[in-house]
Amino acid sequence: MSDMTTKTAVPRKRSRRSSYNTGHPIVPWLYLLPHAIFFLGFIIFPVFYGLYISMHRWDPLLESQPFVGLEFYANLFKAGTPQSEFFWKTFINTAIFTVVSVPLLVGTSITLAVLLFKPIFGRAFFRSIFFMPGILSVSVMGILWKWLFENQSGLVNIILTEYLHLPGIPFLTTEGWAWVPIVLGTVWWTIGFNMTLYLAAMNNISKAIYEAAELDGATAFQQFRFITWPNLSSTTLFVVVTTVLGSFQLFGQPQLITGGGPVRSTQSVIMYITEEAFSNNQFSSAAAMAFMFGLIMLIFTAFQFWLQTRELRGSKK
Amino acid sequence: MKLKPLTLILAIAAASTAHAEYTGPKVEITYLHGFTGPDRPVMEALVKKFNDTHPNITVKASAQPWGTTWQQLAPLVASGRASDVVVINEDQVTGFIARGALTPLTSADLKAGGITKANFYGPLWKTADYKGRSYGVPVHSVALAMYYNKDLMKKYGINKVPTNRAEFLAAAKACTVDKNGKNPGEAGFDPKNLNTWANGVVNGWMGGTIAYSVLRQNGVNLVDKDLNAAFNTAAGQEAIQFLADQITKYQTSPANATEQSEINAFRQGKTCFNFNGVWMLEQYKGQAGLNFGVAPFPQLGTKMKAAWGGSSHLTLPKQRAGYDKNKRLAALEFIGWLTEPEQNLTWTSTGGLPTQAKVAADKSYDTNPINGLFEGLPNVYATSGYPWVGQVRGAWDAAVEAAILGKKSVKEALEDGQNEANKQIDQARKSLQ
Repeated sequence: MSDMTTKTAVPRKRSRRSSYNTGHPIVPWLYLLPHAIFFLGFIIFPVFYGLYISMHRWDPLLESQPFVGLEFYANLFKAGTPQSEFFWKTFINTAIFTVVSVPLLVGTSITLAVLLFKPIFGRAFFRSIFFMPGILSVSVMGILWKWLFENQSGLVNIILTEYLHLPGIPFLTTEGWAWVPIVLGTVWWTIGFNMTLYLAAMNNISKAIYEAAELDGATAFQQFRFITWPNLSSTTLFVVVTTVLGSFQLFGQPQLITGGGPVRSTQSVIMYITEEAFSNNQFSSAAAMAFMFGLIMLIFTAFQFWLQTRELRGSKK
Repeated sequence: MKLKPLTLILAIAAASTAHAEYTGPKVEITYLHGFTGPDRPVMEALVKKFNDTHPNITVKASAQPWGTTWQQLAPLVASGRASDVVVINEDQVTGFIARGALTPLTSADLKAGGITKANFYGPLWKTADYKGRSYGVPVHSVALAMYYNKDLMKKYGINKVPTNRAEFLAAAKACTVDKNGKNPGEAGFDPKNLNTWANGVVNGWMGGTIAYSVLRQNGVNLVDKDLNAAFNTAAGQEAIQFLADQITKYQTSPANATEQSEINAFRQGKTCFNFNGVWMLEQYKGQAGLNFGVAPFPQLGTKMKAAWGGSSHLTLPKQRAGYDKNKRLAALEFIGWLTEPEQNLTWTSTGGLPTQAKVAADKSYDTNPINGLFEGLPNVYATSGYPWVGQVRGAWDAAVEAAILGKKSVKEALEDGQNEANKQIDQARKSLQ
């Protein structure tokens, strides 16, 4: 009973503190205010102002900024406009990059994580080595991979022609091949981050499960398939969604490695939106494209969540 | 920064531009420029010199990347917070003029600043002209040049630096030798295994820049008098066909050349010629064993001499109502002083070209390899004079790339490029209405 009395005394103290916090209805709002100011100023206002821009013919220098409604959105679906041609072309380019790069980025990072989770010799060294490219800026990464894959003078072509006596591959000016340095460079550059996420998640899997599996005679593959992989599902969902979103936002790599060429074949959506805004001075058209692209990404992300949580929802039933 | 000696000509020129200097109350003006590289200390030293010699004016200079300025200038002007003097490049300046971001420089303004437009290279000055009015004074100039490898030319018996199409083709053929020692046209010549070659036809922005030069040499501009895209003419097609023929017909260029691969090849002594901007001079100077010269871009076209040029112009943005007139006078004084021959000569140490013939005549250039280029400066043309340079250049570069890579026929590539550019121009016109 005395225990119970003690226990009731503690919540009373808490409740006093809590009553202090909620004593005045404005107090919680004051706590939220700093974040709310930034949220309103840097998220909500720009989003609505962006919508306003996309529905007007907007230019800060011009006095008249007439309302044009959904004209710039309609341009994306009207045959014959440069916007309809290039927005969807660059969207497909970006989608190709995403489809090719995401399995590589996820697959390689989980493989590395599994290999470097084991207490092998030089583990810390290799973890650092794979993580290190991620600290480089995109410009350093881009220049490096452009040098490597230069048509005549790149290291890859020198090895192909001079040492292996094979015909050189004009990577930077051939549609299709131009994606190779972009995709490989991206994998090299970003793999460390995903690998670290997987390593952290693997730390949380109880070693007892593996010990039990070993006693039952499970092979290394079986341990991965039935213990590691299912336990990493929430991390995989996070990694896949962030990697897909990151891949859709492709910009720096093709900008620096191929300049979007040859013949716009590696130009990404974000590159095209930037061109439309700051090279063509068509801010409203660029804003409309950005909203359209954002909407597509939103739908895509929702679909991914739905797809990857299907099992979970199924098990609840 | 140590000043190079000036000739008597420059001294007379400076004296001839003497004018009533600003004598109003002490003012401070802001100056925004994009010279953020090794040229920044030179610009800062010039500003300091101006401040030291003009007690009534203080110039507060700030440098930021060009791209940032292009993005910020419009909102800054709209909110009445633009710098008093802003440097704008040739491909951006007309767009800002047409959108009303800049104020014209009247005859009275030029007189107040002691600026004589006749002193500058004509096409260079006109770069910042729009609808008969001037909006900027050139402070920096660059141009497309031809670098040539003296040792390689000597080896292949080329005694004269090519200046026209026939001379270039003859030299190009002599320079192009495959791994078996054969030249183009000889039986068994293998264009895929070249030991040395003339000059690779490149793609991307540099490819478009070179192609623009040949287009101008054929008497065609990217736009017509109504400022619509007009490069798809018979003469325009001839210009691009000539470039494409370097790969397929004359076989003096490897296929799939890139700007960087050609720079590397020239540095390694594999090519007789390299077409690139004057900014490559310092890099090539630093290449051990490379014995090279610089000459004007040869006349590969059929009608006239021409080469692409780029420039930066000192401009006066539109200011809010009630702007201090003394600030404008002080800004004009600064612009006039900074573009005087003496200052321009100092500025050329950054790799910029002289903006005026009087500076090019200075004896300090006598041993400088870049002086080989000066003869061509009066024929340098910028992609400027219309507000939609970005749109037209984008479509042009893509069209040239498609033709050079053989993705489309020359006619088809230019047709598509021109259609694309004109659609973009229609949209730009709607915005500017």
